[in-house]
Amino acid sequence: MNLTQVLAANPKMKYIMFGGKGGLGKTTFSAAAAHHLAKQGHKVLVFSVDPQASLSDIFQRDIFGKGATEIMPNLFAQEIDADRRIHDFQNDIRKKILDRYGFDKVPDEIESYIAAASSEPAMEESAIFDAVVDIVFQGEYDYYIYDLVPLGHALYYLSMSSIYDQWINKVTELRSEMQRYDKVASKLKSGGKSEEDEILTELQEIRRRIHLSSSIFTDKEKTGFFFVVAPEEMTILDTKKAEGLFAKFGVPIGGFIVNRVIPESLLQEAIPDYLRHRIEQQRQPMARIAETFGDRVVGNVPEFERDITGLDMISKVAANLFGGAK
Amino acid sequence: MNSVVLPVLGAVVYIVGMRVYASYIDRKVIGADPKRATPARMYADGVDFMPTSRSILFGYQFKSIAGAAPVLGPIIAIKWGWLPGLVWILLGTFFIGWVQDYTSAMVSVRNDGKTFGGISFSFISPRARTILMTFIYLYLLLIAAAFTNIVANALANAPRIPLAIAMLGVAGVIVGYLIYHGRMHLAVVTVIGLALFYVALVLNGQFDLKFGSAHTNWLVWVVFALVFSLFGSLLPIWSFVQPINYLSFYIVLIGMAIAVLGLVVKHPAMQRPMLTGFTVGNMPLWPMLFVTIACGAISGWHGIVSSTGTSRQLRSETDARPVAAGAMFMEMILALIALAIVGITAAGTTGSPDQLFASGLGSIFGFLHLPEKWGLAYGPVLIAILAITILHLVVRFMRIAANELMGRVLPVMRVPAIGTVVALILTFVLVITGTFNYIWVLFGSANQLMASLALMIGSIWLVSEKKKAGFALVPMVFMYITTMAAIILTCKQLLQQAFTGLSLAGQKLPAGQVAGNWIAGTIGVVLFVAALVLAYDGVGALLRFRRAETTEKGVA
Amino acid sequence: MGDDKKDKKKGFGLGKNLKEFVYGMAAHDTARFALKTRGSMEHLFILITMGDMLGIPILPPYYSLRLLPYVVPQISTWKRRMLREKDFTDTLA
Repeated sequence: MNLTQVLAANPKMKYIMFGGKGGLGKTTFSAAAAHHLAKQGHKVLVFSVDPQASLSDIFQRDIFGKGATEIMPNLFAQEIDADRRIHDFQNDIRKKILDRYGFDKVPDEIESYIAAASSEPAMEESAIFDAVVDIVFQGEYDYYIYDLVPLGHALYYLSMSSIYDQWINKVTELRSEMQRYDKVASKLKSGGKSEEDEILTELQEIRRRIHLSSSIFTDKEKTGFFFVVAPEEMTILDTKKAEGLFAKFGVPIGGFIVNRVIPESLLQEAIPDYLRHRIEQQRQPMARIAETFGDRVVGNVPEFERDITGLDMISKVAANLFGGAK
Repeated sequence: MNSVVLPVLGAVVYIVGMRVYASYIDRKVIGADPKRATPARMYADGVDFMPTSRSILFGYQFKSIAGAAPVLGPIIAIKWGWLPGLVWILLGTFFIGWVQDYTSAMVSVRNDGKTFGGISFSFISPRARTILMTFIYLYLLLIAAAFTNIVANALANAPRIPLAIAMLGVAGVIVGYLIYHGRMHLAVVTVIGLALFYVALVLNGQFDLKFGSAHTNWLVWVVFALVFSLFGSLLPIWSFVQPINYLSFYIVLIGMAIAVLGLVVKHPAMQRPMLTGFTVGNMPLWPMLFVTIACGAISGWHGIVSSTGTSRQLRSETDARPVAAGAMFMEMILALIALAIVGITAAGTTGSPDQLFASGLGSIFGFLHLPEKWGLAYGPVLIAILAITILHLVVRFMRIAANELMGRVLPVMRVPAIGTVVALILTFVLVITGTFNYIWVLFGSANQLMASLALMIGSIWLVSEKKKAGFALVPMVFMYITTMAAIILTCKQLLQQAFTGLSLAGQKLPAGQVAGNWIAGTIGVVLFVAALVLAYDGVGALLRFRRAETTEKGVA
Repeated sequence: MGDDKKDKKKGFGLGKNLKEFVYGMAAHDTARFALKTRGSMEHLFILITMGDMLGIPILPPYYSLRLLPYVVPQISTWKRRMLREKDFTDTLA
């Protein structure tokens, strides 16, 4: 199986994600997949939230914090500056408060709360995933390729989003209860109409966004999550675990891609012992991979002789991912 | 003398009291300042602190303080003749009653809306708060016992009304549900509730609802009252207590309106004697009158209401006088009307208070060419309702108080059902073993002690603020001494009977009554001791503040 | 205070005052209870969403911030009430 076949089998798939431990090549594959699909005439957006700006490196253009940038016809790349988004978000809140109450400046205790929020760990995850909602649902791309930050954040967010959902349900119930008491009070005072609860509306909007956000990961038809592995014991074990966790959250696993495979064909050539050993050593993990993931492996990508940067190298990788048979 | 003179005198006292005396104190001593932010405005939190219009608060305060006591007190006191009651109601309200209500509100307003507990803690002593809380629990127990008695007596003596009272509970639940979950207009819901009540009353008018012998019947209604209160304590307040009290307001209003109308239309003469004697039924006029008529002259219950609910809703300091003082004077009028109603009954007729009231109301209905038996039924209906609406609320408070007082030491008391059952058992024991007259004066004593304490707190605050405290201090001393005397006398009689096993007249008492005398007597003693300690601490605080004042003066 | 002056207007004032008086007797305690309950729930809501202001982190700050503008005026009263001493006589009225 290769990616072309996967996509053919899942015609509605439009959210493609590559995940795995750091340094295994997710960004490479994201770029490659994006390139290939763009070349086929689809409008593609590949985006990332990685503060290390690997998409910029790979496309050899500085796209960090600059919104969706056209790399070539149909291919757009975006690197989200999470810090700035949080910063802008805080300013939006400040402005809302000033407008709503006609203050000259935000009251001190409120300001310290707003300022402190940015340093909280959960802030970043939530801000990022909320930003993704805007990107995915406001654009009109055929494919969205999300170059993920390491698995930990995604798992954290997925587990939290069901908790947030329950939480919002409870709090929404609370506010509906409150509305009831409001109605009673105004009924007794005869005449006063109780106001619409703006907070309830805001809560419902928050819930909608959380749903959208987690739906990007869990949509059976539209989502495809691909694990990137390397032929190493540790990676295989970790990936198996991660797969289990992701499956629990209902993330549709598209398949597994093995990267950095040293081609066996090299054995035919005159190579140093070190390399010979590496190839031999690789066999066991490869077998393990085949045994563990079976026909869900959708790609074996070799180690390339150069770093993958620039559109040429990217298209080579793409050819492998999409064309090469197992 | 004509009965109408009573409310007329009341009106005079009302006007003079409000416009001259209360106004003077409000302006010159307290210095109510309309520009000063009240806790309601400063802390408006939509929970406890909500600025509310003066007229609404006046109604709210009046309804909160007016219960069965301003009606029953004067009726029970008729045994001394109507004059002592009249004089006490008028002068008591004028010199003491409004002072207590008003200063309780102002003390709280000027102290961030703190409750009595909080204020006694800061102004008197830390232990003052604990003693006060314990005192309040006993006070609530006495109210519960006294009022259970009243309900049971009313239902037992008027077997044509119990169904209506039971229906009131049902109607309340329905109304509560409709208000909270229905979409009907409030007026429609109210009419439905009242209709259910009146239909039941008319239905019951066709037959007697009673069980077995007189004593058994009475017991049944005691249990009924307690079970009613069980629901009141455990069900959410909006589903039982509140809608029942809501409907009751209209039922009582109709009754009192008819009573007033009848008195005005016919203006009958008082038939009861003006003064019968000094000591009647082993109770001397002083000090016992002053604890027999509590509400309607002065009552500690008002202080609690003023300092918690009302003080946190006052929009302006200048509203305290019309609301707190005004409501007290209004209650005085209510007491006078009750006095008039019983005053026009034939001299020499005896009976329990509910029977006397029924008799009076029956005559009044007759004046308006309505069937007298309607009045004979509506009278006990009013008494029973006035009593039961407070009873179920009080049992609820007892449950909450038990949680607060004992919740940490005895975690089981935190369970609402347990707290309620304990309260009901204690009440039951007190009702079964005690004699109503003694329970009533113990209740009155606790009430008046509460009032003295409220006045004491007010006085201490005034002294601490270097204001002229005389107008509160002098009444406080009078109330305190009188009430303590009443307690001593009551305890003496109770314990004497308990010890000897003989009534004061020399007859042997059944074991149950002996036990009852022990229990009631002990409660009296506890009240006495609690009051002593509070007074001790209070005087200490007073002297502390006085000394501070003189030291400052000395330094200056 | 301006309201007081308006209340004193003859006729109209009396009617309004009478209506309020009757409402005060009949329904104000029930209405007050409903408002009190609603108010406590509001405070509970604020606790859940803005708890970190008092050192009780419950919700992630991202969503708390979105709700913040709506509850700004109540924050100080909420804080004060959370930290205020209470006794059972509060429930009496």
